[in-house]
Amino acid sequence: MFRTLTRRTLTGVAALAATGLVLTGCGGGGNEPAALDTEEQITLNYTFWGNDDRAARYDKAIAAFEEEYPNITINDTFTDYPSYWEKRQTEAAGGGLPDVMQFDYTYLRQYGDNGLLLNLEDYFGSGITTDAIDETLLATGTLEDGTFAIPTGYSAWSVFQNPGLLADTGVEPYEGGTSWEDYDAYMASVTEAGGGTVYGGTDTTQRIQDLELKLRQQGRELFTEDGELNFTQEELAEHWTEGQENRDSVTVPQSKLEEINPVSGFGGAITTSEMSWSNFLGGYLGDSGAEEITIVAPPTSNPDEKDLYRKVGLMQAASAQTEHPEAAAAFVDFLINSPEVGEIFGATLGIPASETQLEGANLEGPDKAVKDYLDSIEERIGDAPAAPVNGFGAVEQTFWDLGKSIGLGAVTPEDAAKQFFDEAAVTLGN
Amino acid sequence: MTTDSAHAPATPRTAASGARPADHRRTGTPRPRRRNRDTVAGYVFLSPWLLGFVGLTLGPMLASLYLAFTDYNLFTAPEWTGLENLTRMAGDERFWDSVRITLIYVLVGTPIKLAAALAVAMLLNYKARGTGFFRSAFYAPSLIGASVSIALVWRAMFSTEGPVDSTLNLFGINMGGWIGNPSLIMPMMILLAVWQFGAPMVIFLAGLKGVPAELYEAASVDGAKSWRKFISVTVPMLSPVIFFNLLLEMINAFQIFASAYIIGSGTGGPGGATNFYTVYLYTRAFANNQMGYASAMAWVLLLAVGVLAFILFRTSKSWVHYAGDSK
Repeated sequence: MFRTLTRRTLTGVAALAATGLVLTGCGGGGNEPAALDTEEQITLNYTFWGNDDRAARYDKAIAAFEEEYPNITINDTFTDYPSYWEKRQTEAAGGGLPDVMQFDYTYLRQYGDNGLLLNLEDYFGSGITTDAIDETLLATGTLEDGTFAIPTGYSAWSVFQNPGLLADTGVEPYEGGTSWEDYDAYMASVTEAGGGTVYGGTDTTQRIQDLELKLRQQGRELFTEDGELNFTQEELAEHWTEGQENRDSVTVPQSKLEEINPVSGFGGAITTSEMSWSNFLGGYLGDSGAEEITIVAPPTSNPDEKDLYRKVGLMQAASAQTEHPEAAAAFVDFLINSPEVGEIFGATLGIPASETQLEGANLEGPDKAVKDYLDSIEERIGDAPAAPVNGFGAVEQTFWDLGKSIGLGAVTPEDAAKQFFDEAAVTLGN
Repeated sequence: MTTDSAHAPATPRTAASGARPADHRRTGTPRPRRRNRDTVAGYVFLSPWLLGFVGLTLGPMLASLYLAFTDYNLFTAPEWTGLENLTRMAGDERFWDSVRITLIYVLVGTPIKLAAALAVAMLLNYKARGTGFFRSAFYAPSLIGASVSIALVWRAMFSTEGPVDSTLNLFGINMGGWIGNPSLIMPMMILLAVWQFGAPMVIFLAGLKGVPAELYEAASVDGAKSWRKFISVTVPMLSPVIFFNLLLEMINAFQIFASAYIIGSGTGGPGGATNFYTVYLYTRAFANNQMGYASAMAWVLLLAVGVLAFILFRTSKSWVHYAGDSK
């Protein structure tokens, strides 16, 4: 048959194959209000980002909800954080967002301002109880047109340590809240004792939160009041360059982290410490399999500066297009206020914002450690930065990707800083 | 297929092309009404495909052509910006990086894959016990190769202390994991592509069956050894099939996405080394919300592949010998 293959058939095949190149997306959705009927069988889609530990907790919470509302079934799915937002963007464009979503403060403005989220204010007092929710925290979900998300709780930047792993190296734990030099010295001793299998920590310049912490220790913020970057390209290059010494010989090699991604170095139990948000404790315990994880304050270059802040992270939100807004509101209310949910999640979605949930949480063990930590840094807690600018999520991700590339030696800090500014100009200009 | 095509060169070269007009005359001209009915019936049978083509391929393609000239962030209505996406692309370092990475992958990976496919096809062309089994065995990877699970398996295989690293360590080669190493990830991606040589192999095999045994006999009589026979008989006789495979594999290679997305964690990692064109396009569209820019990239890719295919067609005149061509 191939002996008679002609030029014409080949042209056809080539044209067909080339047509397959173009990617497209589509979707649909309805928009009908419905009263919360206790007879009608309702199915709600719910989605969240997280790991197995969080998934197991949500399973329990959903079971409790379904017991209370026997006519509502919750279909839940989860992924890791970056792909979570890629999926939501596609759904947002096609009008097919899930009924209820775990949400992030970072993306609130983008989705809320574009009419994609259900205005939960319409259900305050009739479905959603707000009495028990901390007022300042509740206000973080409010934009000009309404309240589009409710925070589950709050957290703060912190240093986690794995005492079990640390004991094997014989190094004393980092005490927390001292100078950067102290922390660097701690990481270096662990790495030296770890013999190439255990490291003291992860590059402390890699993430935008690292830069934010450094800026706040100088009394500055990441963004100006007008939502523009509040640091220069040179300063960013310098920031990344400062991490070079640690990257060369102290912190865990980025190539090792690439292999275990999406689990972090600390989660994979190859570093004894890592800086992150305090609500990561539950996830870290699950990922690393460690029996105990301790939490202390990040190092500071200026102990008098109020560099830390209460971060509203996780929120719950519903789609503007859900066919069952009443049921969606009931589920949001349950996730935010139910003491039972508090007991299930502890402090893993942040220290609960709702008083009733906090009581139910009855914090003990690791959760109590988080609460104690947040109480202990009271003096360092300053005002939270303004609500994240539209596009912050993308900027944050770009920063991290570039930080990783520097760690792999694929790009110099100077080039990375230039790329970051080019990128941010486009993203924030949107 | 074997007997028919083997005898094809013996028939006059106009026979194949002459048959078609004759067919038309027979069914068409004398009975126009019947012909119209046939045409209608033809389109009716085609309609499910046509609907799908217009609704799911053509429509979105036209939409993306429009979006290519807009600034569209998925949330608000697209804004016409003319050629701005293209000018931005010209100055976008990561864009050129992705072009470079993709070209290396295509230009290095495709020839190796085809060479492997041809070599194995020639081995399997010998009549020996178990060839049926080996044909299936070699073909299997190309069926599953593009799947997510295989990408995950390769990720695990090539990580530090994974099977590949451990095996190399046995031989005293200590390279560490390939997954986290920006300079080793490309060889691994190419290896993954080459490993899926089954599809072109089957096509080569069919082509090899069609090379008339007389030609080899004649060559032997003239004293040609195996290499000479390969260069002077197999390659020219196989050239349409080689061309076909080359074209198809090249276009496929440009579209590499799933495995690169999984292995590079969706961000083109490590260090941008798996930032293939389609991965970057995806990042722009869904991670950075720049659907207009991504659409422009899609069209640039389409045009670039079109141009490359056109060039291949032009060069093919000098090295592809079709049955029926005078050359």
